[in-house]
Order: sequence, then structure tokens, then C-alpha cells
Amino acid sequence: MKWSIKQIVENKPWAGWLLFFVTVVFVFFLGLLASSIIERRAEAQFVYSPKVEIEQFEPRNEIWGENFPREYATFLQTADTNFKSLFNGNGLNDALKENPDMVILWAGYAFAKDYNQPRGHFYSIVDIRNTLRTGAPNDTTPSPQPNTCWTCKSPDVPRLMAKMGVQEFYKGSWDKLGSEVVNPIGCADCHDSKTMNLKITRPALIEAFQRQGKDLNESSQQEMRSLVCAQCHVEYFFDNRQGKQKYLTFPWDSGMTVEAIEKYYDNFNYSDWTHAISKAPMLKAQHPDYEVFKMGVHFRAGLACADCHMPYISEGGVKFTDHHVQSPLNNISRSCQVCHKESEEELRERVYQRQRNIKELRTILEKELVAAHFEAKHAWDIGAQELEMKNILLLIRQAQWRWDFAVAGHGNSFHAPLETARILAHGINKAQEARRLLIQIFAKYNNFDVKIPDISTKEMAQKAIGINTQKLKADKEIFLKNVVPIWLKKAKEREAKYSVKYL
Amino acid sequence: MRGIVDIFIPPKKWKFYVIIILGIITGLIFFLFYVSKAHSYLSDNAETCMNCHIMAPQYTSWFHSAHRQYANCNECHVPHDNVFNKYFFKAKDGLRHATIFTLRKEPQVIRIHEAGKEVVHSNCLRCHGDLLTDNKLQNYNGNTTNINRKSSNCTFCHRETPHGSVNSLSSVPNSRVPLPESAVPHWLKKMITK
Repeated sequence: MKWSIKQIVENKPWAGWLLFFVTVVFVFFLGLLASSIIERRAEAQFVYSPKVEIEQFEPRNEIWGENFPREYATFLQTADTNFKSLFNGNGLNDALKENPDMVILWAGYAFAKDYNQPRGHFYSIVDIRNTLRTGAPNDTTPSPQPNTCWTCKSPDVPRLMAKMGVQEFYKGSWDKLGSEVVNPIGCADCHDSKTMNLKITRPALIEAFQRQGKDLNESSQQEMRSLVCAQCHVEYFFDNRQGKQKYLTFPWDSGMTVEAIEKYYDNFNYSDWTHAISKAPMLKAQHPDYEVFKMGVHFRAGLACADCHMPYISEGGVKFTDHHVQSPLNNISRSCQVCHKESEEELRERVYQRQRNIKELRTILEKELVAAHFEAKHAWDIGAQELEMKNILLLIRQAQWRWDFAVAGHGNSFHAPLETARILAHGINKAQEARRLLIQIFAKYNNFDVKIPDISTKEMAQKAIGINTQKLKADKEIFLKNVVPIWLKKAKEREAKYSVKYL
Repeated sequence: MRGIVDIFIPPKKWKFYVIIILGIITGLIFFLFYVSKAHSYLSDNAETCMNCHIMAPQYTSWFHSAHRQYANCNECHVPHDNVFNKYFFKAKDGLRHATIFTLRKEPQVIRIHEAGKEVVHSNCLRCHGDLLTDNKLQNYNGNTTNINRKSSNCTFCHRETPHGSVNSLSSVPNSRVPLPESAVPHWLKKMITK
């Protein structure tokens, strides 16, 4: 080699220095590039610039609304009650009036007193206070319902659970926390106050997953968009075993199908109540929306609840999730038509077709069950023995469990029409089997004279099973006039002490 | 070869310092790779595109579209005719993106360029080609006659698929997108906060 850096530097020392400074400049710019990348990465952390600092258990939706005006404005739209679909809607409709048979099916259980079609989340607190099921508690009489009933009604619940402990929260009667639970279902039920990410706030869901050996924390964003709903829109019961008191529990340990859940209950001879007419040990299904949705084609296609019930909307050049949680039928273009290219009328008709067919099947099963309850009563009246009745009562329990599982989830006939039809078919089969065995008992005692009272209206049906609706309503009026205002006053005083920190 | 290396051999008394400085430069380059998540660009995950937060409108509109079930970003936005072409296009596009992003030259509404359009169009056909070649659809789809098949892009009409019509940088202020977390690893954070 003629020359090398070594020689150049030895001959001209300044060239060495030049090399040194060139390197300095190069490294300097490399550093600048790195810091630019860091800066732009950091920007992502400041995308969300809140106006109000939201505390960990902030229950007041309007405070969250300060930072998220669009989401809050659409959440307030859940107050709307003007939508009607074929069989349901978002208004206050008396379901028992529409279908008095249900009074008989729930005889001996609070649902026979009062049962309305569901309204929007906005009414969660108002409606639970108004329903005759929670009774008219005052200083001397407690509510017939446990405090557990508040669990799904308000973002005040996570706050109270953190304060009192979970089991302590469930204990006692429903009126215990009347002044504490005042904000309707809202932001803090599903969102983390710091990151705004979706978050599970109700222990029952976390525990149900743990018992199945699954970790909720590993759920993807898409799964979370269903799981936050699954905190409440599921089948549940109040567990009193092993020192627990009215502990909210999801019965999924052996699976989520109607049979698997039934097996879970059978394993410890659980029943929600004993039927007032037939004396059967009954189960009450409570809106198994999530479980049934998981058996349908839309779940298989990878959808989450939010995809249809909370679709994206754009307003003035901004897109956001519509927090007006509602029936997609009120919103076909933004929910169904994202994937389906048929017309609105066609899509609506497809849903109605499924709903009509399921309604047909459920009505058959309803009639069978009403007859079965009265026939079982007749069997007892003419002297049937416990041993003869045992199997019949079990069949009635199984048949009505299937009826309730199919009916209680209002979306079932769309979410999984095939599964719902399957469930109802099994229910009809079991109800008829019970009635066939009852006929044998009538033959044995030679008395076929079954008496079924007139139950053609809600009032007559309630009278027939001895519910004094007049008195319940009168007591409720007094409760709403005297007790609730005191609750509200206390709540107002308490919340006045909460700070609001504007940033 | 030996000769070329000889050119760069520093004088004896420099050797130590040169090694240190070279180490610093190499470390800095490694750090650049780490902080820009350069390795993630080899994958097909949609999360990779969220390394730049300005892609949030595109990510979110895709996430709320029917294409979410079947196609991630790369499925449409890079060529799939062969693996070399795929990564060549990715690198070309990526370097342009990185440059614009670093210089803060991104427009308020990001629009696709001609090269990208062609790629998207050929990817439409990769999955939906039947719509053009199926004779049964000729009557149903009168505008896809031979002339039109060659001369127009799918997106010319289907322009809202799947990103919708609203795409400005500020169009999804509250979207829950998988933004990159802090570059400081968890174990270090724990040590610092203790």
C-alpha cells in the first residue's frame, strides 16, 4: 500500500484531528436521530390530553364526560325510549301484561310480581328502585332482595367493593346501600381511569375465568370488547355455600351450554325457588346473552358485542365509538351493513324471521309448562306421593330452565337461532314427558278433573297465585316518596365532598 | 483485501481510543434499532404499523371494518407476487415513511401514492378476482366489462373500503389503538421506582 491513515496522520497530525471531529459530528447527528425517534414515540403518550383528572373509582359519569364529550353525549342517548322493534324496544313495557303466562311460570318467585322489558343503561338505577321486585324497604322492613342486586347497576359498585371488600358488599339486604349507589351504569364500569383501556371491574367474571383455569388478563382487545359486557349480561346465581353469603357467581365451571350449567346446579341440588303451584325445585335463568352469543355464527366470525351494539360513527370529521348501547336494529346501516350488502329492509326481515320462529317455539313450550304446573298441583291434590312426583318435578324443572334460558336473553333468537331452537325443542320434549307421566298418576287415582283458573290477563294470573299487586304498588309509592329522597339527599351530600381537579 | 484493511489501521497510540469510539457508534446504532423497533417491520402484524401513532385513523377504521376478519395491513398494502418484491416494496415504502415522519412532513390527511394504489388494486384481485372473471356476474356487474377491468381501479368506486371517508390525523382522538409502550423495559422501571 502506498498510503494509509497511519502514514497520513503521522505526516500531518491535523488530518487525525479532522478525522476525529468528523466522527464527532457523525455521532452527534446519530444521537439527534435517536432523540427524534424517542420524541415521536413519546408523542403517542400525549395523544390523550385530559381536562379533568379522573380518580381511580370516580363513579360520576359527567366527570368522565368532561374529557370525552362525544362518548358521553351518545351515552346519554340511552335515555331514549322511542324505539320499537317487532317484539321489543327500548321503552318501558310491561312484559307480564303482554304475556300473563309468565306470572304462572314464576309463581312463588319475585319475577311474578313485576317484570318489564329492559330499557337503556341510563335507567339502571331508576328502574331497580321502581320495580316491585325490590319491595318497599324502610327503617323497620328490609327489602326482600339481597344487596347483590346492585352489583350490575352502577359504577359506584367498584368504588364500594374496594372500600368494603367483595363479600361484605354482597351481604345484607338491597336497601343497605341505597344512598351509596346512585350513578347509572357508565364509564367506570368498563374503563380504566388512567389509561382508558377496557377493564374488568366485577370480580364474578374474573373468578369464573380463574375456576376454568383461564387468565382474563391475556384477552385481546377484541375479546375485551365482549368481556366488559359479559360482566353482567350472563347467567348467574347467588352462592351461599362454604361460608359465602349471596356471593355473585357465574356457573360456568363445566361449560357454558344450557346442559353444562344445569349439570353444575344439579351437582349441589341447587334451586332458586320452589314453585308455588307445582312444588317443583326451579331454576331461574338470567339473561345468558354472552353464553348464547358465543354459540352463534357472528361470534365465529370474530365479532364482539361492541361491533354491533356500539358501532363506530363519525361526527364533524371525528370518528368515535357510539356509546349509545342499543339494539342494532335501530342502527342497521352502521352495524349490519358494515359487512352485509343487503338492504336495510332485507336485513331487518332476516332478524324478524328468526325472532318469529323462536317466538312460535317458546309459546308452545310456555303453554305446555303452564299446563304442567297446574296438572302437577292436581296430582298433589288427589294424593300423589313424593316418590311418584319426584321425576315429574325434575322434568318440569328441566323444561322451564330451558324455556327461561332461551327467553331471558332478549337477543338469543338472533345471536344463536339454531342453539335457541335446539334448547326450546328439548324443553318442549321434557314438558310433554312430564305431562305424560302426570296422566298416568291421574289414571292411577282415577281423577282427571284438572282445574286451571282464568289467567288470561296479568291481574287475573297474579290474583290466581295470591299476589296482592295493589298493596305492593301502594307500598312502593310510599317508598319512592319517603325513602328514596333521603337516599338522594345523602348521596348528594357525599358527592359534594368529592373533589374535581381541572388540569 | 488485506491491503484495504491496512488503510484503516490507526496509529498504535490511537488504537485504544478508536476501539472505544467504534463501540460507542455501534452501540448507538443498536439503540436506534431498538428504539425504532426496527425488527418489528419484518412481521405482518397490524400492530407494527402503530409504531407511528399517526397511523391511528387507518388502524382504527380498518379495525371497525369487515376486512378486519380477513386481512391485516400488509395483506393489501404490500405486493404478494413474490417474497423479494414484498420486502423490497416494504423497505422502499418504509424508508419513505420514516423520512417524512422524521422531518415532520406528514400531511393532515394521508393519501395513498400511485405505487401503493397499484399494489392495493392487485391485492383486491388476489382475493376478489372472481368478481371480474365469473361469467355469471357479467350481467349483474355490467361495468366490469373487459375495457373497464384493465382501465380502472377497484378503489375508484370502492373508495370507502375499508377505511371510510374520514381519515385526517385528528379524526380518532380517543381510539384505543395498540401504541408502542415506553421504550424503558419493565425491569428497569421497577428498579427506578423502588
